[in-house]
Amino acid sequence: MAARNVTSGDNHQVANHTMARRMVLASLTRRRSRVLIAVAAVAIGATALGGLATIAADIPRHLSRELREVGANLVVSPAGDQPGLADTTLQQVDQALAGRQVVAQAAFRYQTVRLANQSYLAAGADLNQVQQAKGYWAVQGEWPAGPGQVLLGTDVAAWAGAEVGQNVTVSLPVGQEGAADEAAPQAVYTVSGIVTAGGAEDEMVVLWADDLAALAGPGPWDVAEYSVASESKDLAAIAQAISQAVPQVQAEPVQRLARSEADVLAMLRTLLALVATLVLALTMIGVSTTMVAVVTERRVEIALRKALGADQAVINREFVTEALVLGLVGGLAGVGLGYAFAWGVGQAVFHRSVQMPWWVALATVAVAIAVTRLGVIVPLRRTAQIDPALQLREE
Amino acid sequence: MFLRMLRGALIRHRGGRAMIALTTALGACVATAMLGVAFDVGDKVSQELSTYGANIVVQPKGAAVLDDVYGLADAATTGGPALQEAEVANIKTIFWAFNITQFAPFLEVAAQVGASGEASMADAAPVTVVGSWFAHQLALPTGEHVSAGLIELRAWWEVAGGWIADGDVGLAMVGSKLAQERGLGLGDWLALTGPAGQAVDVQVAGLYTAGGDEDGQVLVPLAVAQQLAGRPGEVDRVEVAALTTPDNDLARRAAQNPGALTVSEWETWYCTAYASSIAYQIEEVMTDAVAKPVREVTEAQGTILTKTGMIMILVTLLSLLASALGVANLVTASVMERAPQIGLMKAVGAPDGAVVRLILAEMAVIGLAGGVVGFGLGLGAAQVVGFAVFGGAITPRPVVAALVALLVVLVMVGGSLPAIRLLVRLRPAEVLHGR
Repeated sequence: MAARNVTSGDNHQVANHTMARRMVLASLTRRRSRVLIAVAAVAIGATALGGLATIAADIPRHLSRELREVGANLVVSPAGDQPGLADTTLQQVDQALAGRQVVAQAAFRYQTVRLANQSYLAAGADLNQVQQAKGYWAVQGEWPAGPGQVLLGTDVAAWAGAEVGQNVTVSLPVGQEGAADEAAPQAVYTVSGIVTAGGAEDEMVVLWADDLAALAGPGPWDVAEYSVASESKDLAAIAQAISQAVPQVQAEPVQRLARSEADVLAMLRTLLALVATLVLALTMIGVSTTMVAVVTERRVEIALRKALGADQAVINREFVTEALVLGLVGGLAGVGLGYAFAWGVGQAVFHRSVQMPWWVALATVAVAIAVTRLGVIVPLRRTAQIDPALQLREE
Repeated sequence: MFLRMLRGALIRHRGGRAMIALTTALGACVATAMLGVAFDVGDKVSQELSTYGANIVVQPKGAAVLDDVYGLADAATTGGPALQEAEVANIKTIFWAFNITQFAPFLEVAAQVGASGEASMADAAPVTVVGSWFAHQLALPTGEHVSAGLIELRAWWEVAGGWIADGDVGLAMVGSKLAQERGLGLGDWLALTGPAGQAVDVQVAGLYTAGGDEDGQVLVPLAVAQQLAGRPGEVDRVEVAALTTPDNDLARRAAQNPGALTVSEWETWYCTAYASSIAYQIEEVMTDAVAKPVREVTEAQGTILTKTGMIMILVTLLSLLASALGVANLVTASVMERAPQIGLMKAVGAPDGAVVRLILAEMAVIGLAGGVVGFGLGLGAAQVVGFAVFGGAITPRPVVAALVALLVVLVMVGGSLPAIRLLVRLRPAEVLHGR
């Protein structure tokens, strides 16, 4: 170290740096099997961290998307003094929702009708949209493919004795406005399917909006359902934004499963964090043991350098640099493998690819380096204990 | 000789061996905890989901539920078919009674609401007054006592003031929307007038926000609603929250027509906690009742359950793989360290078989010690995870012990193999020279 303080210190320092670099490089390449083991240990830990963090960050998006295919989470109805929702009003709502990922949407118009001498509620809608929005409906038979085909709720079908493929006659109730007293407008439809929903829809007749308009005349929509891919906590804000942007409507989030969805996600995240921590602890022990073995192997060399005047700081710096390089390489490998794992999970569970947020990649490398640095604390203490006189006695 | 060498190896290199044992223990701990949690996660998630809302609704046969949707008819005023309050407790006696976490009966009545002392405003729209249980104590035929009611079934409601009790016939809770419209606050008195003129005065003891139609209703004890409606002992809806298994093909076929199943299929279906079989069993214990799974809820629950279950399995596999690789890594490293000793053994004429036996025996002892300690720790860790994450204990399962033992053996042998191959090829002269 004395050499550093002589007048031409700059040159010596450059030489020192070059020397240090060469030594780290040599130590890394020459003990290839050891280095591989250490890098593998770091990479395993980083893989677990990167993979689990990616899953934790990306799951909510996928799960909420998956749930939105099951059912809507936002209901838009006319504000108190409005008779219904006009097409232009719904376009305004669509504009208010611009930028949000709307998985499905469907507008419904309700009308009391008579079928087999009983009154039921008929829901008119674009049935292609309904099929998207009502993923939880179990339809026996087929979804209506075109005009003239209807879905019957399971209770309606049971009471009317209607089966898939039969024709049913639907009429407006006598006395309905616009209907002649003796001959109420009526139409014959083919039952293409029977729907079980476990809710109000079981007692409804579901038909195309155009068919309903032909039967009962044109009219506005009564309610519109939206499936917005968003975490439940944002939903209230979205609903409020819509109600403010479009004064003719009132938007409300569907509360049913929102809370439990959030709770289950929180549960899963805690679990993933715990697993990642445990695997990182394993990693640290692995790195530490490997580096201790490296120190044991190199004790003669370290003793020689100490005898030649290298002080502890230089040796420490070398090992720390080595650890940083190991951490960096292992961390980068872990980011790649972790992404591969998360991608596999995304494919297996959601049939979609996942994205690793940039901060997860960055954090993974940073943590990998930090863990490796912690792992060399014990090996560094070992190097300090090496006594050149004892070690070199036999040489 | 073999034993002495083994003992020597274990005792002399205490530090290194302890390290492997510790790592093995940590790995076994991770494996035990994760497997334990993975086997239990379905139940736990299902429990979590059932705390939020009913997934089965029981209604009287032939009831017109048109007022469910957009208030078309006020069915509450007509004396239609009804369920008997006395039969509601039967729900807790079905085959899957244990899976029924909560339930509550409902009776809705359209009533005029006015401030107490004034004549009720005739032109104001009637308000739906809902009678229900809050925390009703039930004595079951089995001798157990359970509590059923809204406090548990609507756990997510935000309540100001407080819940009322079933005996508080003079108290009511008011939905936040209604309270805002009518300017009602805690402590105000309301005069409720039923469709046939029955009048009850109640004091507002709680305000709730539910986020739905219920925010525009008044909630009273069931007896009060029955008095208002003039329908003693009757209820018109029971909501049930049950732990259910996600539907599969069998459940779908059974839901369409239970009669079409073969005897053995029917038994499988009846004895599995599908929403449809629980609903079927409820229909069996209540007169003229139709129990329906609320598909919007059960399907969403099923989605969450299957998806989280799959994620858990994959994460468990990753953690098992990571800890296995970590331990194998160390085992390889530590066996390689033994090069000089093995070199000496070979130099004095030990056959390869003896070397392999010594190392495997050593690893067996370390693996056993680490595995047993790790398994014990893992059982504890699983409980910690259980309480921290799920708020409940994790059931220990024998299959977990078997799996962990198998894993430890595989990892120890797998980790030693590359090193053993290297040591067998070792040339004594080179190692003993120390280069």
